[in-house]
Amino acid sequence: MYAKEMVKQSLPLIIFCGLGAIVAGSTLGVMTDLLKEIPGLIVIIPAIIALRGNISTAFGSRLGSAYHLGVIDADNLWNEELKQNIIGSLMLSFLVSIIIGILAYVSSILMKVYPNPVKLISIVLIAGIISGIILTLLTISIIYLVFKRGYDPDNITGPALATFGDIITMLCIFGSAVFVEVFL
Amino acid sequence: MIYSWKKIVKHGIPLLTLTIFIEIFAGQLLLIKQDGLVWFPIFLISIPVINSVSGNIGSVLGARLASGLHVGYISISIKDKRMHDNLIISILMGVVTYAILAIVIYCIVVFGNLRVGIGLFEFITILLSAGFLLICVVSLASVLTAFLSFKRGLDPDDMVAPVVTTIGDVMGIVFLFSIISVFGVGI
Repeated sequence: MYAKEMVKQSLPLIIFCGLGAIVAGSTLGVMTDLLKEIPGLIVIIPAIIALRGNISTAFGSRLGSAYHLGVIDADNLWNEELKQNIIGSLMLSFLVSIIIGILAYVSSILMKVYPNPVKLISIVLIAGIISGIILTLLTISIIYLVFKRGYDPDNITGPALATFGDIITMLCIFGSAVFVEVFL
Repeated sequence: MIYSWKKIVKHGIPLLTLTIFIEIFAGQLLLIKQDGLVWFPIFLISIPVINSVSGNIGSVLGARLASGLHVGYISISIKDKRMHDNLIISILMGVVTYAILAIVIYCIVVFGNLRVGIGLFEFITILLSAGFLLICVVSLASVLTAFLSFKRGLDPDDMVAPVVTTIGDVMGIVFLFSIISVFGVGI
């Protein structure tokens, strides 16, 4: 019975998240020309996806704890606690994006691939910050709906953010790579 | 006020920077194989999928172990029966999920008019073998992280997810490339 309940509750969600990852992967699959044109682009992809996943799930779980502590709820959502969390998450996205850009550039040189540092760091920064803003807004909307319905945010935000996060992040990397390739 | 953005940044930076170092390493592995991946987009599409499934299963397993340890129905022992059950079910769920998603990926590549270059049976075998190895490693890492962090008085809920997703991202790429080379597909 123990096994049956575990499979019943988590397998559908894991398969659903996998389908989300296929959408993210397909975005990568149509980016083959960009990957050839921008050396080093492929290096930053796992890092930005991981950054996004870590920052937004931490943001979601902090909001979950804040809810359980009684600091925020549906009627009192837009307060100073939430603002501090938003600023914190966006500052982290900004700082760590710069670290990703520099590390990707330096490590590529060690591998004897020579990316354009301005292009590479711009792509990471634009993709990191825009996906950060979109996912922050998405998290707040999800949290608001969850509060309204009286669900426990801890059960919902993690998987929801993991699924949408990968797709949104890949689309943002794709978009910023096209933007940088055209305008820089 | 319980949150301040400076604290969030200060607490977040060390673990994130460590994660990023390892993920950049994963990215360099992709760079080495970039020509092959561009030639076989089916494997490029598979990479986020392999990583997502292992990360999710590892995190679910970790969260379940954490609850069991907190409540007390799982004990820190390599012989714990509940832990064995959780481990085996996780691995089985992983295999089922990889089999289903392999077929979906293959269909998308065929109907999306991308270059296929590999048979369905061969692709499923490659994805399942790499996925099976990865799920075993990630599940064991999840058990180890949950047990070790609980033993040291840290909350496994905070530790397991970042550790298993990072290990899964690197090892997923390593296993995929190794299995591909065993099968002699030209990546």
